[in-house]
Amino acid sequence: MKNANYQMIFCVVNAGFSQVVMEAAKSVGARGGTLIHGRGTANQEAEKRFQIVVQPDKEIVMILVKKEIKDKVLLALNKAVGLETAGQGIAFSVPVDRVVGIAEDVGEDVGEDTKE
Amino acid sequence: MAITIGSRAVNARQNKNIAPIRLELLITVVDKKKADFYADLLQSFDINMQMVVWAKGTAEEKTLEYLGLANNDRAVIFSAVREDKLDTIEQALEEKFASVKGGKGVAFSIPFTSIMGAAAFGFLSNETGISGMFGEENV
Repeated sequence: MKNANYQMIFCVVNAGFSQVVMEAAKSVGARGGTLIHGRGTANQEAEKRFQIVVQPDKEIVMILVKKEIKDKVLLALNKAVGLETAGQGIAFSVPVDRVVGIAEDVGEDVGEDTKE
Repeated sequence: MAITIGSRAVNARQNKNIAPIRLELLITVVDKKKADFYADLLQSFDINMQMVVWAKGTAEEKTLEYLGLANNDRAVIFSAVREDKLDTIEQALEEKFASVKGGKGVAFSIPFTSIMGAAAFGFLSNETGISGMFGEENV
């Protein structure tokens, strides 16, 4: 089904902070997410210039949310795991064209776990 | 009045349609054990490129126990899909999500905005002869 009501939030944080991400997201209405492990490849020159150390082990949390709560979730993530915090996270959202497998009647809670 | 136009414009005019197929990135999140099943299913829709990444669901242990689920291991399948195939693919996924035991999941798609080169576009869209449309310089 063509569905423009959802957005996918990608949140990249230092390893070990995915739970903080989900707690922050859940506090403003998101429910489920999917966690992928990754390795950061930050530019070493930029690291020196900005005097930050980028931990290479990363966690990527994908959270599918309704468009209406997307900004709230991003704000909550910035507060909980933003670059000023130990999580050193960045988060961004992308529009989603079509969605399959989401039960609409679960209210504002969306995400993979709602299907289980 | 004579107007000089480049080979790309000539080709575009001859073909009437310079970009006939849009591509989208289909992301399918399913139980890890069902990754091969869904990857095979998706491949049957002329999908030439897929990536499977192991992942974890973020449901709490308590919730999993309550639902009688053993673990929250997931597979995320990234597939480059032609937009004109998406309706069929969605129907197939919806049906499988509802009927296959342990095969529930979520899928969504994100449109591509650009692609690197005509050959890559041809490969991902499973269309032969795409490169000729764009002129030699872009192949």
